[in-house]
Amino acid sequence: MQRHRNAMLGALAVVLFLAVWQAIFLVVPLNPLFFTTPKQIAAGFIDLVESGDLLHDLAVSAVPFGLGLLAAAIIGVPLGILMGWRVRIGYALDPLMTVFYASPLVALAPLVVIFFGVGVSGKTIIVFTLAVFPFIFNVASGVRAVDRLLINVVRSLGGREWDIYLKILFPSVLPYIVAGARIAVGRALIAVLVGEFFAASEGIGYAISRFGDIFAIDRMFACILTVMVIAVVLTEGIRWAERAAFPWRASQ
Amino acid sequence: MADQALDLNIGASAGRFVTPALRQRIESIVLGTATIALLLVVWELLPHVLPIQQGTRLFFTVPSRIFETLWQMFATGTIWAPLGVSATAFAIGLALAIAAGLPLGILLGRSTTLNAMFDPFVTAFNATPRLVFLPLLMLWLGIGLWSKVAVVFLGALFPLLINTHEGVRNADKLLINVVRSFGASGWDVARLVVIPNSLPFIMVGLRLAIGRAILGVVVAEFFGAQNGLGVVMVRAASSFDVNVVFAGLIVFAALSLVMTGLVKLIEGRTSRWRPQHAENE
Amino acid sequence: MPAYIQARNVKLTFCPPNRAAVTALDAFDMDVEEGEFLSIVGPSGCGKSTFLNVLLGLIKPDSGEVRIRGRRISGPGSERAMVFQEFGLLPWRTVQHNIELGLELKRTAAAKRRFVAERLVSLVGLAGFENHYPHELSGGMKQRVGLARALATDPDVLLMDEPFAALDAQTRDLMQVELLRIWREARKTVLFVTHQIDEAIYLSDRVLVMSKRPGRTKKIFDIKLPRPRAYEMRVAPEFNDLKLEIWNTLKDEIVI
Repeated sequence: MQRHRNAMLGALAVVLFLAVWQAIFLVVPLNPLFFTTPKQIAAGFIDLVESGDLLHDLAVSAVPFGLGLLAAAIIGVPLGILMGWRVRIGYALDPLMTVFYASPLVALAPLVVIFFGVGVSGKTIIVFTLAVFPFIFNVASGVRAVDRLLINVVRSLGGREWDIYLKILFPSVLPYIVAGARIAVGRALIAVLVGEFFAASEGIGYAISRFGDIFAIDRMFACILTVMVIAVVLTEGIRWAERAAFPWRASQ
Repeated sequence: MADQALDLNIGASAGRFVTPALRQRIESIVLGTATIALLLVVWELLPHVLPIQQGTRLFFTVPSRIFETLWQMFATGTIWAPLGVSATAFAIGLALAIAAGLPLGILLGRSTTLNAMFDPFVTAFNATPRLVFLPLLMLWLGIGLWSKVAVVFLGALFPLLINTHEGVRNADKLLINVVRSFGASGWDVARLVVIPNSLPFIMVGLRLAIGRAILGVVVAEFFGAQNGLGVVMVRAASSFDVNVVFAGLIVFAALSLVMTGLVKLIEGRTSRWRPQHAENE
Repeated sequence: MPAYIQARNVKLTFCPPNRAAVTALDAFDMDVEEGEFLSIVGPSGCGKSTFLNVLLGLIKPDSGEVRIRGRRISGPGSERAMVFQEFGLLPWRTVQHNIELGLELKRTAAAKRRFVAERLVSLVGLAGFENHYPHELSGGMKQRVGLARALATDPDVLLMDEPFAALDAQTRDLMQVELLRIWREARKTVLFVTHQIDEAIYLSDRVLVMSKRPGRTKKIFDIKLPRPRAYEMRVAPEFNDLKLEIWNTLKDEIVI
């Protein structure tokens, strides 16, 4: 009951917000050049969908997003495992990784774009650079958090290194990999947008900035909201999957 | 962990100067520093060892030149003006985020109704990269300080809000009952239980907020500004002055590390009562 | 003459969300004499902890009344203090500051607070640990802090809600001895809730057995063992007879 109540309150709040937003125009004369209403946004959205532009732009952005994330996972997870498992390697790489994680690496995006061009490769590299570190850190963290007792149990029963990896390490680390993915997704989105804002001719980020340039606020909002929805679906979706698959872990 | 066999306890070596714990710390510092140093050396020597293509040569630089540039920027004072502009936007945005995020977080923590109503918005905005709003903000607030401040504010607000909320909600009901049993008023409960309990959470939120705020300044200056260190960097990139780009990155990174380091210090001081440190994100 | 603490016809029902209503107490009567040590034993869920919270003033009964010294209980008051099963120490405060908590809320002057806290730290045997934090203490030590804190405001009535349940058996036995020593010095009225019959008999003047939920007073036993109570009494035949009697009264109420 409590959960239903909360969901209803949330839905109510959203509806109220949209209603007030729509109604404001009747009361306050806002400049249509800078503001728009939910109705117009909806109309703009339908327009974009019907013309296929929205889907096209999303598809264009999705490629470097997906590729970069995949590369980040493929490289980040094993590196994280290595760092967490081999203590000395962890010691060696930790400060370096911390510096990278803490730096606004996105600042290198212009360089990357200029060097690699505005296409898929440039954007993918930026996505990779931003998304790899959440994987590395979360996985390393997860490996370090593995219950040593369990390892001792397997060893005492005659298990070898490989048994430990498969039976203990992997299941223990999986939730951390997923959590890392959740954070990496957010960073990957930023990376795609930065790449496209800076210099691109296609993609959802480009669409947003282009619509802004021509003051097509309704479509701009439509694109922004689309990105918001995608971001929420991805992030909350992963969070939900985490809770469902690993109920014993409190999601961070 | 693979390096340590069935270890049931790291045996106490009472009486020895270098305890295992101390040895660990020395090892970690040495290895860490050595790796960074090694990396820098290899990077520095790379152009002497490998042939670099003509096109790449334009982009390639070595640590010595980067640090030279960095030094120059400070020595000639050319860095202070843009840094000041960036820092202003950062500070204002962060301050606003704290001023809005903390009270709101407390409010949402105490009222489940309000929390349920705000939840969709908080979740949506938190999951969305703030960057996506930049073109809109530039439209509304122009190219300059305020669109930057807005991006910084939006970035820093949510970690603060969410973590404060978590801290308030996390207050142990048992402790609230204990304090009430001694005759505490609502305000006493807040003062004695809720606020001390929330402090560590707020510190974590602050650390996250600082990182996001810096990110916000950087991206906002890339696209929507005429002054600031980020603008300097972006212009340098366009004219292939790679050294300046890296130098700027170092400055931002250093600032981020110093500030979060400070917060961690305060966190450490105020967390002596905690049995262990739990990290969020 | 009305008893020092008097409960008449107390009824209390909980309505948790998504579940059926639970009547914790129904037609619950009880008398407590001043200065006595009364234990309440009962099966799980019989409402004994709930009643303690009613006495503390944190919960109001649906009907019936509870009086102390003739006056109705309408909220927390400084003449009653509770020792909690999970200790309830503020983790960010040192031992000394935890003990001072009640006095702070009574706006007692700092010097007086310190004085009282120091005296109590010695009383409960924690001298030297004033500046330690709860997480540095063992379970037994934490509970001693809880006891000291409850005594700091000099209440007339000590309410103890299974205070030793979280401790291991050996610590528990020693804490019982400690408690009796401190009680002899402090001279309070004590209401002690427990699951353990041994503990109840060893500590108390009287033992009240509650029925299963909804809780009622089923039977009251007088413990005629001499004071001070020696540990050897626990193996005396009178002790075991009492234990068997109480067990027989209690066992029909227990639902596994």
